[in-house]
Amino acid sequence: MRFPFRFVFVVFCFAAILIFAAYLRGAGNRVFYKLWSINTEESRLKQQLWQKQLQLESLINPAAISERLGE
Amino acid sequence: MSGELRTMNYEQRTLRSVRVAIFFLSLVIGAFAALAGRCFYLQYFKNGYFLDVCLKQQEGLLPLKPQRGVILDCRGRVLAASNKIHTIFAEPRVIKDPKSTSTDLASIVDMGAHEICKLIMDGKNPGFVKIKADADVNQCSAAGKIYGVGVWSDWLRLYPMGYLAAHVVGFTSVDNRGLGGIELQYDKEIRGSAAEDVFLADVYRRPVRPKQQNGILADGVGIILTLDTTIQEFAREALIKQYKDYQAESAIAIVAEPKSGAILALVSLPDFDPADARSTDPNNFRNRAITDQFEPGSIIKPVVAAIAVDAGVVNKVEKIFCENGSYSGKGFGRIGEYRQGFGDLTVREILINSSNIGMAKIGQRVGRDRLYEGLALFGFGRKAGIDLPGEADGLLRPAREWTGYSVTRVPFGQEISVTAIQLLRAFCILANGGHAVRPYLVKAMVGNEGQIIKLKQPTPPVGYVIKPEVARWIVTDAMVGVVNEGTGKRAKLEKWQVFGKTGTANIARSDQKGYSEDDYIASFVAGAPVEDPAIIVLVSIRKPNKRLGKGYTGGAVAAPVAAEIVEKALTYLEKRGGGDW
Repeated sequence: MRFPFRFVFVVFCFAAILIFAAYLRGAGNRVFYKLWSINTEESRLKQQLWQKQLQLESLINPAAISERLGE
Repeated sequence: MSGELRTMNYEQRTLRSVRVAIFFLSLVIGAFAALAGRCFYLQYFKNGYFLDVCLKQQEGLLPLKPQRGVILDCRGRVLAASNKIHTIFAEPRVIKDPKSTSTDLASIVDMGAHEICKLIMDGKNPGFVKIKADADVNQCSAAGKIYGVGVWSDWLRLYPMGYLAAHVVGFTSVDNRGLGGIELQYDKEIRGSAAEDVFLADVYRRPVRPKQQNGILADGVGIILTLDTTIQEFAREALIKQYKDYQAESAIAIVAEPKSGAILALVSLPDFDPADARSTDPNNFRNRAITDQFEPGSIIKPVVAAIAVDAGVVNKVEKIFCENGSYSGKGFGRIGEYRQGFGDLTVREILINSSNIGMAKIGQRVGRDRLYEGLALFGFGRKAGIDLPGEADGLLRPAREWTGYSVTRVPFGQEISVTAIQLLRAFCILANGGHAVRPYLVKAMVGNEGQIIKLKQPTPPVGYVIKPEVARWIVTDAMVGVVNEGTGKRAKLEKWQVFGKTGTANIARSDQKGYSEDDYIASFVAGAPVEDPAIIVLVSIRKPNKRLGKGYTGGAVAAPVAAEIVEKALTYLEKRGGGDW
């Protein structure tokens, strides 16, 4: 009766190893995509910060201040 | 007997079974053989074709557009910069149900569904219809999930200061190419270089592996100008008020540092908003400070006087008889004065009273060749070399073409055509002790990491255009006299001693010979403080409306503007602690 259990266990381990190997094979792609997403997000945040800075510049530049003082 | 029959039947059934089995086995083997043959065919003969299809499906191409460089003033304030914006667009050719798509999109972009539907249905381009520009991240993320709707990212050029330094900064086209000003002059450096990223993508078009990059992505360099936007605002504010009050056709004001030639402010009216260049009258794009040539009139007198004193043909104390207001002779016609006639005047008094006859006689003494050479040394008749596009040469005819009229007219600013920047340079030379300078706008170029790529170093003075003592005398004595006693009284300031010269030039008629009696260019050049000039200001207002009865001369129209700019600029520079050009 041990024979079927051992056989099932071996088949199970073999299948698990194959699945894990297939998963590992795609690991590089996943990591690259993650890196790409993070870089894109970082770039987006930088642009958002830059946009805020430009908005601030448009409020405190001499022309804007002069206009507000005039009003 | 029955036993033999049973055996025979069994053998027959067995044989039939074997045949059936062989038949089905043959079918299976045949199928596998066909599959194997098909595999071989695909792998061997069709390999190239499917490889191409596979690469096309898997490859993604991402164009990488560089960020256009910033343009800053000398204090680091942003004059022009690029920012990424995201545009939500629809692709009408793949949208089967525009109404449904519009309804889905309406709540995301805060627009009416009907309006979106109309845009999709009426769009001329079946591949791209802009729905919303400058969408935020959440809107882009939600909109991208709708079939037939995409998000396009691109750089948008922004000008936070609007009208303020429009002619200096310039503007760009929709595809981010410089079309005027510094944007055009340094377009190659500012625009950077583009690249393409090629990568492998999965079935959801997510990048999973880099493949190659075509080109090298480099953002544009930043440009730092010598312009100070505070002084620019002072200049623009003062000038625009006078420009409107006098209903002038155009006006310019330039502020420069005389020792180095650094331009602190440059205003040309009418101006425009670089962010809205497409709807601007094209005439407003003209930077009149460098493109417009005009006969300068009396404002050029100090330059000619300096040439004469430097040449030794007149001295500071001798008196020249100014013919009591009417001077005529063979070869040069008749010369009159603008107001009253004068008797004996020194060179200083000729400048203070702006006597045309006095200057004509000085011109005759200097002579054609020396006068031409002197004016050429001061930079007239050729570009000043400022780093802006579209500069005019002005007109100083070669000496061989001069007549008796020329020798007497050029000294008081006729028969010569100059640009404002050339005039400014000439007075910078006078104010800095006779050294040649070249007006410039770009102080430095800075890379993406903050490293300095190019820095304008102050050039040590080499040689003189005129002797320093002559330049000093013209500025500290004659031009101070113009402001304190003469035609430039309206430029007087309490805190600083200003030196200057007025100019009221007739504009030549375009339809016939001679000059218009109604059209003038009112100019004034001022500098201060006289002990050590920190700034030179040139104001020139074209065609102030004489009919308003407020005056039209340089002293009445331009001098108050120059005085206001000088006062505000010097107060500001004092508080700022001077400048390091």
